Amino acid sequence: MKLRESLRLSWRSIRGHTLRSTLTTLGVVIGIAAVITFVTLGVSLEAGILGDVETGDTNRIYVWGSPPDQGGGPGEGAELVFTQRDVTELRDLEDVAAAYPWTPLPTESMAHGNDTVPIRQGVIATGPEYLDSEQIDDGRQFTEGEHEAVLNPAAAAQFEGNVSVGDRITVSVPGDSEVNVTVVGILDTSEGQGPFEGFGEDPRVYLPADPVYLDLAGEATDDPRYLSVIVEAESPRTVETTRDSARDYLTSNASDASDYLGDDLELTLQTGGELLDQIRDILDRVTAFVTGIAVISLVVGAIGIANIMLVSVTERTREIGIMKAVGAQNRDVLTLFLTEAAILGVIGAVGGTVLGAVAGWAATEYADLPLSYPFEWFAIAVGVGVLVGIVSGLYPAWRAARTDPIEALRYE
Amino acid sequence: MGDDPAVTLGDVRKTYRVGEPVHALDGVDLTLDRGSYTAVMGPSGSGKSTLMNLVGCLDTPTEGTVTVDGTDVTELSDRDRTSLRGDEIGFVFQTFNLMPKLTARENVALPLIFQGVPGSRRTERADEILERVGLGDRGDHRPNELSGGQRQRVAIARALVTDPTLVLADEPTGNLDTETGAIIMDLFDEVRAAGNTVLVVTHERHIAERADRIVHLLDGRVERVEPLRDAGAAG
Ligand SMILES: Nc1ncnc2c1ncn2[C@@H]1O[C@H](COP(=O)(O)OP(=O)(O)OP(=O)(O)O)[C@@H](O)[C@H]1O
Ligand SMILES: [Mg+2]
Repeated sequence: MKLRESLRLSWRSIRGHTLRSTLTTLGVVIGIAAVITFVTLGVSLEAGILGDVETGDTNRIYVWGSPPDQGGGPGEGAELVFTQRDVTELRDLEDVAAAYPWTPLPTESMAHGNDTVPIRQGVIATGPEYLDSEQIDDGRQFTEGEHEAVLNPAAAAQFEGNVSVGDRITVSVPGDSEVNVTVVGILDTSEGQGPFEGFGEDPRVYLPADPVYLDLAGEATDDPRYLSVIVEAESPRTVETTRDSARDYLTSNASDASDYLGDDLELTLQTGGELLDQIRDILDRVTAFVTGIAVISLVVGAIGIANIMLVSVTERTREIGIMKAVGAQNRDVLTLFLTEAAILGVIGAVGGTVLGAVAGWAATEYADLPLSYPFEWFAIAVGVGVLVGIVSGLYPAWRAARTDPIEALRYE
Repeated sequence: MGDDPAVTLGDVRKTYRVGEPVHALDGVDLTLDRGSYTAVMGPSGSGKSTLMNLVGCLDTPTEGTVTVDGTDVTELSDRDRTSLRGDEIGFVFQTFNLMPKLTARENVALPLIFQGVPGSRRTERADEILERVGLGDRGDHRPNELSGGQRQRVAIARALVTDPTLVLADEPTGNLDTETGAIIMDLFDEVRAAGNTVLVVTHERHIAERADRIVHLLDGRVERVEPLRDAGAAG
């Protein structure tokens, strides 16, 4: 018997029990859907965070001071410990290509003409090197020492009738202070620009720490400090040396940071590579966990298919007898039932993939991630479906093939 | 092929061992000549169906030889026996035994699938045979949409679709009224007239009388053979 014929006959028999066949495949659907959802989420996370970060990020070192055993993500529990002098000193170190602060500016609102919108987070004081100039869609990078700002599209869209390059906006901070800046650039993405920002798409305004942050913070305190500093090495290969130099300086008495760190705070210098590894590690652990669930679900699914196939073999004993009486070989009967089980597996896998793709899309929407599908996993899922179907169909099909035609024809 | 009889049974015994051994067939010698038409009669439990299954290569004897078309069936592998069955033998059962989910046409074409006949050829052939049994317009109907007589005609069409040399029927009219039964038996007359060897099991005398001879079974033995007319002279 040709494969096409057995596919056709098996399909007929599956269609004959639509509800039952659907329920049978549920286990496989759930298993595959779980895997596809989380792999989609994982791939999207990787694309969202790692993709952006990877290129320029492996020569960056993220530096912050936080209570020991703080745990959590990068910058978690960080306190204001770095001064502008520290940043300047770091810049002058031999192995350092660039050093600049990264610190959020506490703000209340920003205004464009008469159009005032609240903004409490998302105004970031940093250095020009922080932003990748290739990601500036329109305009240019802000310049240190100038009252300038770069907005991401989400921030620009806050205002009615979008803000564009050349416009002036006013940023108000608590304590009735405000500062005027000129918009010099708009980014091409609203995703976070680094591990300190997370990966969500939020309105963000980037401006030079010197002078904007120093001016505003200087009104409240005589020694304005930054939450964190980013140090860049010449290349990813020299990042360790750079880190050692930066640590040596920051922990030495020569630095202001060492005073502010005192005994209570611990200095952390994490390289972009380490952060990537951490994220990957978390992703891997989540994937392993989900894969575990999926395997259990697939085993349950396989048992479900095997069970229904056994019922089906018993139910169709007479049909098997007829087929054998008219010349079906054991192999033909085996093929028929295996095909049926494999089709059930494929239906489950395709259903699971579709469901997983939808769930993955919903999850990335929810988490504000750029969606990217792991297409090779879709193919793997269908393969696994066929495999689960065939494995679970083996015993029932063998039973069917072995059926004695006389007994089968006698069967009521 | 050639001069061999269609079927020869030589001292065939079939014993079932379920506690006390049951001798369903207890030393049967029987020869079916090519183109002959034989009826088998006998009380319930006399071994008619058992005989039929052995002749039809569905089963093998406990002892003795079954030769179909010159081939000793007892020597064949299960696989070859199945092939022989598919190529040379057509079955008709009392309970029709049609595939419930398939249409009449698909039921008729079923044996051809296992012979590897391509789809278009199968449909053509099935329609041809359905036409011959008077069901040319019922090809798309499922068995549950057909009357008992129509179902049995579909079953006969299926038995004939592979052009078998030997057509076996176990109580083909058992579930039908007399009139419908007569229509079915007319078909067997045609099958026979076309040169096939026919073996029909029945418990109805008037059905059996259409054959060339009646083999009477009793307790697994041939009690007597009752000739009705010269072989080949039926019509
Ligand atoms: N699989 C089996 N296991 C045990 N005994 C069997 C089996 N098949 C048939 N027999 C026995 O063999 C004997 C002959 O059975 P068979 O079916 O050939 O009778 P039959 O002549 O066709 O009867 P009927 O007219 O009722 O169909 C019976 O006694 C039956 O009980
Ligand atoms: Mg019987």
